[in-house]
Amino acid sequence: MAFNYDSYLRLEKMPTLWCWGCGDGVILKAFIRAVDKMGIDKDDMCVVSGIGCSGRFSSYVDFNTVHTTHGRTVAYATGIKLANPTKHVVCVAGDGDALAIGGNHTIHGCRRNIDITMIVIQNFIYGLTNSQTSPTTPQGMWTVTQKAGNIDPTFDGCELAVAAGASFVGRENVTQPRKLEKLFIKSMEHKGFSYVEALSNCHINLGRKNKMASAMQNLDWIDSITVPVKKYEAMTKEEQLNLLPTGIIKQDTVVREYCDMYQDIIDVHQGKRAKITQDDFVKKI
Amino acid sequence: MATREVISTGNELSAMAGVDAGCTFFGGYPLTPSSEVMHVISDLLPKVGGTCIQMEDEIGAICAVIGAGMAGSRTMTGTSGPGMSLKAENLGLAQMAEVPLVCVNVMRGGPSTGLPTRVSQGDIKQASNPSHGDYRSITLCAGNLAECYTETVRAFNLADRFMQPVIVLLDETIGHMHGKADIPTVEDVKTGIVPRKSFDGPAEEYFPYECNATQPAVLNPMFKGYRYHFTGLHHDKNGFPTEEIETCRKLIQRLEDKVMAHQDELELNEEFMCDDLTGEEGEVLIIAYGSVSLAAKEAIRHLRADGIKAGLFRPITIWPSPAKRIKEMTDKIKNVLVVELNIRQYTDEIERASGRLDLEGLYKVNGRAISPHEITSKVKEVF
Amino acid sequence: MSSIMNAPANTPVWVDTQRCKACDICVDACPAGVLSMKAEASSTLGAMISIVAPESCIGCNECELTCPDFAIYVADKKEYKFAKLTDDAKVRQEVIANNKYRLPEDYKGSN
Repeated sequence: MAFNYDSYLRLEKMPTLWCWGCGDGVILKAFIRAVDKMGIDKDDMCVVSGIGCSGRFSSYVDFNTVHTTHGRTVAYATGIKLANPTKHVVCVAGDGDALAIGGNHTIHGCRRNIDITMIVIQNFIYGLTNSQTSPTTPQGMWTVTQKAGNIDPTFDGCELAVAAGASFVGRENVTQPRKLEKLFIKSMEHKGFSYVEALSNCHINLGRKNKMASAMQNLDWIDSITVPVKKYEAMTKEEQLNLLPTGIIKQDTVVREYCDMYQDIIDVHQGKRAKITQDDFVKKI
Repeated sequence: MATREVISTGNELSAMAGVDAGCTFFGGYPLTPSSEVMHVISDLLPKVGGTCIQMEDEIGAICAVIGAGMAGSRTMTGTSGPGMSLKAENLGLAQMAEVPLVCVNVMRGGPSTGLPTRVSQGDIKQASNPSHGDYRSITLCAGNLAECYTETVRAFNLADRFMQPVIVLLDETIGHMHGKADIPTVEDVKTGIVPRKSFDGPAEEYFPYECNATQPAVLNPMFKGYRYHFTGLHHDKNGFPTEEIETCRKLIQRLEDKVMAHQDELELNEEFMCDDLTGEEGEVLIIAYGSVSLAAKEAIRHLRADGIKAGLFRPITIWPSPAKRIKEMTDKIKNVLVVELNIRQYTDEIERASGRLDLEGLYKVNGRAISPHEITSKVKEVF
Repeated sequence: MSSIMNAPANTPVWVDTQRCKACDICVDACPAGVLSMKAEASSTLGAMISIVAPESCIGCNECELTCPDFAIYVADKKEYKFAKLTDDAKVRQEVIANNKYRLPEDYKGSN
């Protein structure tokens, strides 16, 4: 018997609405395998998605699922998690969701270090709405809003997450489904905010006008700009230019998780402990 | 019903009401003049094991609240006009996905940043349709300190009954008013809690959005074995996105009808000194709500002392408006004065309901309260 | 449970043609020239996967892992004895990849 994805899928929704060769499906499969390997009960998992092609992710999986407004996955997930700290809450957002319209929620989810796994499907473009510039679209590429060539500087979501205080940050490439699955497992096992960027292809709305019209061409390009983090760190600044490191970029298991810390607030108000002071924190500024 | 006497502010009473009514999650963002709601509830909720989080912005606050509400908690947020504008889109999602929550809006001067520390009733029209699309907003408006408590409690029960956001309008005057209030006992509030309906049959027979044309969705809490889908898209009986013509029509029609077919469960008005108004010439009907009604009541006492028979009609449920009752009252009494801390925002609705275009209005938009004297002067001037 | 999960008798790799969108990814991923696209008028993109050399399948699962559409399945190693990767298979794979993921009709093998 092959791996049974179907037991995690809403079969009446198959086939997916995604285009042929879309990396979203590979990510969805890696996620399902990860959940299966971790043995998480379907009732204990909530998947929250945003808007865009990645927004459909939540409707395909047989968990408690929420399809939110554009960019707000982390904010919805924060409410769900704080009200149910023992359950698994996973956000699935696109690069527009996570880094443009919802950038603020991403930053503050990282800062609070609340135990949510945020999977960012990063395909360098606004795919669903037909090729508008994303904060991650490489400069010089064609987009429908910058047909003369994109001049907007990009930023690196993983660096942002590290700087904002996420205790787990990782990146993987859809051409590495096994590594992706492992990264998902590590991030979901990690207690704290996990920012996981899954680099994906959109040969339809990024590739067609940027000389990579097939899934394979788009995937080859992603392979060409990614390098395992160990190798990346051994490189000079010049060599690192235009490359994105993959693997686990940061993991801090010491810093406390938000729901855990909130329990201290409850304990203070219920007279079970003294007030929280600066002495309770090693790093307070 | 037993009552207890408290000395407090409107904002604090609203926070107390939330916790007494079973709220376990509050998400907010500081916004004058509503911030005290969060100041107070951030102490009260952890005492009962609940959670209060100050989110990164107004949008984050409403989203966290909706998320906790989807998961099954009774939830609340507090804000003012600028925050309502920011929350609008996600209030729309809560309408569409039928997620109950209570949103307290302590009104200040607007538009935009306006007059942050001054009173206004400028959010009346916004409250009727904060988000785009078709749905019926339920909006309650507290007219005195005790109502900051009782209307917030009522809002929680209505939110769970109708499965949608309920807005509680306070204004800066009432929110910051400090004084004595007689409010129901905690025991009475707890006994009166009507939790949202849930389905307890087998999961394969559960269709959260399959319901009678005038009834709300039945949304079970998350993590209890009933896995379904929430979305802001038009959706089918399982909550999954659909564009099927009849399903889409029925869904939006139901969002309208689930409220309007049961308006009797919602409507609440006060008719102050209206009993002896018979429709004789010279009688005056004042229509006012919120803190303005306090000045109107005082004005009515003065007018009556001066021999003018005046009464007050005060809608407490602002939306949906008590259109039928407004029509009855304005059919009977010729001299009608609407007093608002905005320009005609509710007058437009009263004109619609009454079919009359000869209503007099007293409007003030300089961030200051209307005094009883201003009302009596206006009455004597125009009638 | 869907029957597609269960391996058909003595088959290393099989396809759910209702789900396949003919993206070519599995054909590209296969190291052993097991898969090829073939013309299929009823498919959206005018093509469908075909399993042209099941006997060469090494059970590496690459096609399954990289398929975005839950459309291709590989038997469990415990239930099927897979082949070893041969030079013959590698050459066939290269021919397929270089011919727009289609095995030439007149392909006779590398020797």
